[in-house]
Amino acid sequence: MAETQLDDVRKVFTETDGNEIVAVNDVSIDIEDGEFLVLVGPSGCGKSTTLRMIAGLETISDGDIRLDDRVINDVPAKDRDIAMVFQSYALYPHMTVRENMAFGLEESTDLSDDEIAARVEETAEMMGIDPLLDRKPEELSGGQQQRVALGRAIVREPAVFLMDEPLSNLDAKLRAQMRTELQQLQEQLETTTVYVTHDQTEAMTMGDRIAILNDGELQQVGTPLECYHEPANVFVADFIGEPAMNFFDVTRRDADGDGAVLVNETLEYTVSADISTAIGDRDDLVLGVRPEDISIERSEGDQRRADGHTVPASVTVVEPTGDENIVYLDLGADRSERIIATIDGMSQVEAGDRVVVHVPEDAVHVFDGETNEALHNRRVESNEPRVPNV
Amino acid sequence: MKRFLLLLRSIRRTQGEGPESERTSGERRVMTDGGTSEKRSTFQRWLDSDIVQSAPFWLPPFLLMGFFVYAAIGWNFLLSLTEYSGFGDPDYSNLGLQNYWAMLDDPGMWAATRNTFVLLVGFTVVCLIVGLLLALLLDREIRFSRSFRTIYLLPFALSFIVTAQFWRWMYNVNNGIINQFIGVFGLGPYSWLGSPKLVLGAVIFALVWQFSGYTMIIYLAALRSIPNDQYEAARADGASTVRMYWRVIIPQLRPAMVSATVTLVLFALKAFDFLYATFDGYRPRRGADILATKMVRESFGRSEWAYGSSIALMLFVLSLGVITPYLYNQYKRGNL
Repeated sequence: MAETQLDDVRKVFTETDGNEIVAVNDVSIDIEDGEFLVLVGPSGCGKSTTLRMIAGLETISDGDIRLDDRVINDVPAKDRDIAMVFQSYALYPHMTVRENMAFGLEESTDLSDDEIAARVEETAEMMGIDPLLDRKPEELSGGQQQRVALGRAIVREPAVFLMDEPLSNLDAKLRAQMRTELQQLQEQLETTTVYVTHDQTEAMTMGDRIAILNDGELQQVGTPLECYHEPANVFVADFIGEPAMNFFDVTRRDADGDGAVLVNETLEYTVSADISTAIGDRDDLVLGVRPEDISIERSEGDQRRADGHTVPASVTVVEPTGDENIVYLDLGADRSERIIATIDGMSQVEAGDRVVVHVPEDAVHVFDGETNEALHNRRVESNEPRVPNV
Repeated sequence: MKRFLLLLRSIRRTQGEGPESERTSGERRVMTDGGTSEKRSTFQRWLDSDIVQSAPFWLPPFLLMGFFVYAAIGWNFLLSLTEYSGFGDPDYSNLGLQNYWAMLDDPGMWAATRNTFVLLVGFTVVCLIVGLLLALLLDREIRFSRSFRTIYLLPFALSFIVTAQFWRWMYNVNNGIINQFIGVFGLGPYSWLGSPKLVLGAVIFALVWQFSGYTMIIYLAALRSIPNDQYEAARADGASTVRMYWRVIIPQLRPAMVSATVTLVLFALKAFDFLYATFDGYRPRRGADILATKMVRESFGRSEWAYGSSIALMLFVLSLGVITPYLYNQYKRGNL
């Protein structure tokens, strides 16, 4: 168990022709003792490189990685007291499950054979893999191999668990099951865990906090709900949540009183004073709203509600998932803007319907169109946070 | 010939090719549907079976192989039971195992067998070790690894006649480069190819030089197929580089090691051409005679055809002894 700190960590790869590629750019994260931190981002964002630098499998170009205030930049992987779970599981094919699990203890500790055997048995029992101990990896199913890979890490009782997309080779149902199990296991063991995934659902459901990376740059670190409701920028807002947030490129126009109107070709959205203040005198803006915050009302013809928060639309596709319907809508008379809304599964909407889309003001996000930074985030009742729809 | 034509016709029929066959198959179907069709005879069914149908493809090579390889081995065995020597024809009327008993009493035979085994074990083991070390070094992404790979493999591409000549020059007692080199340290000169104590070692060394590149390539191919994760998992598990190779990587090279061993052993059993070129004939210096050279010498030097045949059969049995476990292993794994 240990506190892990990344301090301006940077990784530069030099290609053979001398080109430099910055894979990780000055990332700083403090990972608390016993925390479950998820590194998430699209492929190529530097999340795996970051993990591999913590593991000692990749050198650090600049910055410091500290484990309990000890700088471990130049400590070789074998002396770092970490255990890693790989996406491919990387079980040793010539060893039985028992030998696979014992290997790390034999190499990294001075424990006697009896103690090692006892610990392996104990961990295998906890993971429910004790009947498999004398089998070779090739005789196991994917799910069983995954369990063994986890067991091999757990039996070491390391200071930090590092997991590199450990669930992505499982089928959807097993993945959901292992997700829960992994979380329970981590809570029980209270071992600091850094978990890399490209799957935002995994990030949202598993992490104590999540760190979102893009192009080697840290975008935001926060609890899943913080990142969901108070995204720091357009990238985070877009990446977290499924279906993704709807965005409109808009410009600001002054309105009566302190408010403002955000306009583009299809949209005229009136905002009140506090949003207007947050915007300031910026002109190039992005308006964002989550699909589940949009409500759809049936309409005859092109009528707008007086509050300036509605826009006429036509339904193009409806994807029923059972509990909800994912509705694709074309906005405006010329249908130039497409948005996605999720509505209750029982409501009857069909492709071709003419509807009115209502976007409540307390659910909108406003971003700076140039820097992509958030200017205003939706209102969240602090004592009763909404359960996100992921 | 008639049967073959019939066969061809039946193949054409099953392929449904040409208007004639279409008609016949059509007629047959009508008859079966009507319930009055003739019963197909056992012979007819036999003609339609896969093995007969495919005979034009497998039979010719089967006959050729059977005659030139297996019949020759059989004839060789028959010869070894006779007393055939010198000019004239073998006498098959009086067969016996006397040649095999004679082998037991022949000290030259024991020496040749011993040398064969020393060559076999020494050459194979050293080749496997040197090849493995080279492969592990080249796999660590060193600079110019491609060039090194070519350099190490090059000896294997050369003919034995050429490499044997090289080594003869290098092993020369008076002006060979090896004696010149160790002379710098005040050693030698040694008669590498003349002394019965040194000659076998010298031959093994030269053969290892030529063959370790080959073992290296086999190991390298196997190393390349081991995913990077295995190395990283071992490192994250706390293994040092040496321990990682010893416990995780090298055990996974076992299949490569087995196939390299079989090739090397089979070569060592019949390392005739190299010795022939080194010693300018099939009379190697004392201490370097192996079964293969003795076999040729007995047969073609002394015209002891029957005795030569029995040595040949000994070599054959030894080769079988090497290859059988391998084939059985492959069969059990479903690779055959």
